[in-house]
Order: sequence, then C-alpha cells, then structure tokens
Amino acid sequence: MKKSILSGVFLFCFSGSSFAGFDFESKAQQLLGEILANPSAFFYDFQQDLEGTLPLPPGKAWGLHTGLFPSVIPMGYTNISGKYRLHAEGRMYPGLPQMDLIGGYWDMIWAKLATNQSDDVDKASFNGYYYGFILSSSVSPRIRTFWGYKRSQLKAELKLNKAQDLMGVSVTSFDSGFKDDFLIAGLEHPKGINKFWSIQLNYGLSEKIITTKVCWYGKWFELGLNIYPEGVLVIHPVWNFHLNF
Amino acid sequence: MKKLMIIYVIMTLPAVSAFCAGGEKSKIFTPYFDMVLTEGVYVPSEGNFFSGGEIDTRVGLLAKASEKDSFFGLYSFAYSGPGFNPQDTEQWQDRSLSHGFNIEYRRNLSDKFRIRPGIAYSTEFRRTGSNEAWENGLYNTDSLGGQLAVDYNFDFEKNGMLTFQALYRNIEFPNYTDLLSEFNNASNTAETSGGLQDQKMKQVSLRPGWNNFFGGITYTLQDYENQKVVESNGAYGNTLQENKTTRFDLGFHHTLWIFEMYPVASYTMYRSNQNYMRYKYLGATSTDLTSGSSDVTFVSKSYDYNEIELSVPVDLLLTKTGKWAINGSMSMTKRDYTDRPPRDANNNYDFSKQQNNLLTVLGGGLRKRLNDVSMFRINYSLIIAESNNKFEQYLPYNYTGNSLGISYQLKY
Repeated sequence: MKKSILSGVFLFCFSGSSFAGFDFESKAQQLLGEILANPSAFFYDFQQDLEGTLPLPPGKAWGLHTGLFPSVIPMGYTNISGKYRLHAEGRMYPGLPQMDLIGGYWDMIWAKLATNQSDDVDKASFNGYYYGFILSSSVSPRIRTFWGYKRSQLKAELKLNKAQDLMGVSVTSFDSGFKDDFLIAGLEHPKGINKFWSIQLNYGLSEKIITTKVCWYGKWFELGLNIYPEGVLVIHPVWNFHLNF
Repeated sequence: MKKLMIIYVIMTLPAVSAFCAGGEKSKIFTPYFDMVLTEGVYVPSEGNFFSGGEIDTRVGLLAKASEKDSFFGLYSFAYSGPGFNPQDTEQWQDRSLSHGFNIEYRRNLSDKFRIRPGIAYSTEFRRTGSNEAWENGLYNTDSLGGQLAVDYNFDFEKNGMLTFQALYRNIEFPNYTDLLSEFNNASNTAETSGGLQDQKMKQVSLRPGWNNFFGGITYTLQDYENQKVVESNGAYGNTLQENKTTRFDLGFHHTLWIFEMYPVASYTMYRSNQNYMRYKYLGATSTDLTSGSSDVTFVSKSYDYNEIELSVPVDLLLTKTGKWAINGSMSMTKRDYTDRPPRDANNNYDFSKQQNNLLTVLGGGLRKRLNDVSMFRINYSLIIAESNNKFEQYLPYNYTGNSLGISYQLKY
C-alpha cells in the first residue's frame, strides 16, 4: 500500500508532461565547463569550508580548528586554523565586544603526490590562507551576534606535460589565484551546555562571492551546510573539528 | 594596516550598539535580524534541470534618543538566483544581487501620530549567467532618494494603523545601452544610446492595518529622463517615456483552530506611453508596420497590462506548540495585456486577440520550528505556465515545472 502511495505521489509529481528532465551527462559537462572556466573559484569554495569564522565561545581564549570534510576527505586540503581572543566581551570597557583574531593555512596533499608520482603532471600546487577578526556581542542570554572581516587568498597551479581530455574538454594547464576581502555577519544561539547553532553570511567585496553557513557545533565537532548560490557545487556538507581552551 | 584599523572601528560600532541593546533593561538600542535562505532544484518540461537559491537578509538597529525621538537604520542584502519566474519578467537563469541602506528618523507627534522621514540608497547588480561579471550587467541600477511616512494609530489594542507614505527615488542604469541602436549605427562612435533607462520614481501609498489584516493602495510614477516614445511611423518622437502603476493589495495572517493562514491578493494596473517595434531579425525593414506578419511591426501600448496575483498559503499545525506543521499553498499570477496581441510560433502577431499569461503554482511541504527564532521548511511545487503567446525563442511561456526546495529562516 505504502509503495502504491509513493508511486502515486511520484507519478503526480513527474507526470503530465514529458520531462526532458535529468540529463546528468550534459549537466556534468556544464559543471566541468564552469570549473575549467574559472578553476580557482571552484577550489576557493572548498577553502571557505575549512575557514573558522565563528567567534570563540565565551570564556575561551584560544582555539584550534581543522576542516575534515570535504576539506581533508576527499579534497586533500591538509589544513590548520587558529583563533586568539584579543579581549573578552565587556572586560576592558563596558559594551566593548569580544574580539577574536582568526587565521589559517591549507595545502592540497593530492597535488603534491601528483607532482611526485605522476609522469603526466609537471607541476601541481594548490594552497591558500586567510586571516581576519571576529567581533561578538551578546544581545540577550540566548543570542550572540557577530561581525567580522577576513581576507582569503588561494593559489592554484597545474601544468600537464600533454593535454588531457576531460569529458570532451581539453586541459593542459592553468595558473590562477583568487582573493577577496569578506565581511561576515552572523548570529549564534546556544542550545545547551557546549551546544550551539549558528547562521552567518560571508560577502566578498571585490568578487561579490556569497557564502552562507548554517552549522551546529559542540565541544569538539562542527556540522554544517555551506551554501554557495553562485558556485559550481551549491551545497557543501561540512564536518570540522575544533579545540577551544 | 590602516585599512584594517578603519574596518575594525567601523565594525565595532554596531557591535557595541548591539551590546547595549542587550539591554533588556535600557532598551536604548534594539537590534533586528532576519535572514531567510532558500535553495531548490528546478525541473522544467523542456530543458535540463537546474538549481537556484534566494537569500534575504535584513539587519537593523533602532536607537531611542528620547521619549519621542528615535532613529532606525536598516541594511538589507538580497540575492535571487535561477528559478521559474512569471512570463515576461525574467529568464530562468537571471540572477540579481542588491544592497540597500535606509536611515529613518521617527518622531511621535502625539499618542496617535508619528512621522518618519528617511533617506535610502540601494545598488543592484543583475546578470544572466554565472560566467558574467556582476559589474557589467545591462540592468544594474543605483538608486538614491528619500521618503516621508505618517502613521496614525487608531486602535492600540489591535494594532490598528493607517500609514501614508510619499517616496522619491533617482534611479540610474550606469551600463544600460540600446543595443539595437548601436548595431544600426555602427559607424557612430559617440555614446548616443546610454542613460536611456535613467528615471525618477515617485510613489505614494496609503496602507491600513488592523488585527493582522492589512491592505493598501500604491501609485507609482516613473519619469524617464532620456528615453523617447517610439511613434507609429517607427521613429522616436519627442515625448519622453512615462510609466504609471496602480496597485491594490490586501491580506491577513491568522491562526484559526489548527490552520495558520496568510493569504494575500493584489491587483495591478500598469500603463506606459511607450510603444513597441518588433524586428524579426537584425536589419529587418518593412513598408507595412501595421501588419502582424511583417518583418517589422508596430505595436501600440504593447506594455500595458492588468494583473491579478493571489497567494494562499496554509499551515496545518500538527502540534499544539506549532513546532511541526504541514503546509500547502496555491498561488496564481494572471496578466492580461490591454493591447498587446499574442504571437504565433513564427513571431507573427494576431491583432484580433490580446495576450494573456497565467502562472499557477501548487505547493506542499513540511515546516518545523527549530526554536523561538528559527524555522525550517521543505517544499515541493508544481508550476504550470500557460499563455496564448506561442513565440518562445527568448522566454518560455508555456511549460510545466517541478521544484523541490529547502528553506531556513532566522529572525530575531
């Protein structure tokens, strides 16, 4: 019975007309074309996945942060980020927000392996860094807002010794970089002891890159969905590890 | 370093203000934050599937200077990505991005009257694909102006309010150019076709609201600074283009038993003195501009239309607290052109009829309130677009589409 209902719903949704529908091969070619048109923009989105742009929890002065998925697995972005609380909220002057310095670096291990072990690759280098600061203020016991700035820089370089055919697109090399200055605005809401969820918007001033991050985090891990509405892969599920002390 | 310091100082100000707002005690500052994220996949009856999203963010701060005086600052950020749109509006792949800044001074003249003068600036970027640069959008705009609103509170208990607002905007299209004129006058190196969309917009509105019922009438006048009206001989005359829009709307937001409803209906009358010349191809000429099948056809009052919009969303509350709800919705946009005839598949006009478009959207989904300030939705929509216009080389008019989307809202 359940199966019949599901079939009925499916038919209702996708009947009534012949859908040219889901042509995954042409979609894949379109996406590949977008990647090759601007490869660094594609890799830049994954850099933003590993960037720690949340404020340190109240009472914490240092933080270490590393992106696990999709940063290390499967992208091979070995990465480390740090946070340092310059001053706590209201400690120096009443009303002065908490200020955290943030920064990090990553390097793609697959690029290094490819350069060392593949005869087809002459050079492959993908790396990047970011730095900035986050200001945070409690507007009620249950809401903390934060604002911030970050500069993100990526460098992507690939040289093959002969052209490779990728789904009909011939690729020999690319050498490009990508950087932007971002403004960050977000809101954090505690759900319990050491449990938070948050939403934030990152906006790139030069390239007009839009990133929204929705995440849930506890003492050790952070789970989230990063949305890049103008990116090749729009939604990135994210899993990060952090240690604050 | 200097740049960093400046950014730090600028960004500290709202943070400090927001802290003061924490101010459940003082209430000198009250922050406002509203962010809605939507992402969906779209499957049209013709063409491949695609995805698109919407982001709508508003961040505001109300500062109370005295018992009678306050200031309200609002920054709004909006992004609209690919998606199905009503016919004759935007293409599926069109995207827009805008920033808006509004500062308003509020003064209570008495218990019942309040005035709100304000200034506003906004900048909007548009592009038709992700491979275009935002800065180069043909329809990018910069808008600057002011407004004056007067509120009359006639029922404190049920939030009865009557608002009159007069608004003025100077709107510039820095990149706009008449591409056809440029092609036709390729030897002319002087910029003769720029600034044609630049306009001054004036708007007055009267909006009553009471007990979560609301409505209003809005009249908008667009005076073009350079764009001339094309005349029946096919040449531009001396009259400048002028558009007038009158809009009525009404709706409510109420919970009746287990149904939470927020229907809205509107009726719009759009009138323009601009006419339209249809060229079948570049360099087309014709001796009979009144024939619908000529290579060049003149269509008088081609832009005038009347439009009805109806949206009826209903949430069926599954729990007493309203944490879980099933939602269903029906919306309809019906546009009837007063003079524009429809075209056949070969781009020929049929002057015995007027064009009409209908877009119907049926939707259903699930809503979950995550906590006091946030909400999550998952929605399926069936879109049916119909029109007696069969010329669809540039914009789709007749199609069926499906979309599945998720939405996340945070409001404080």
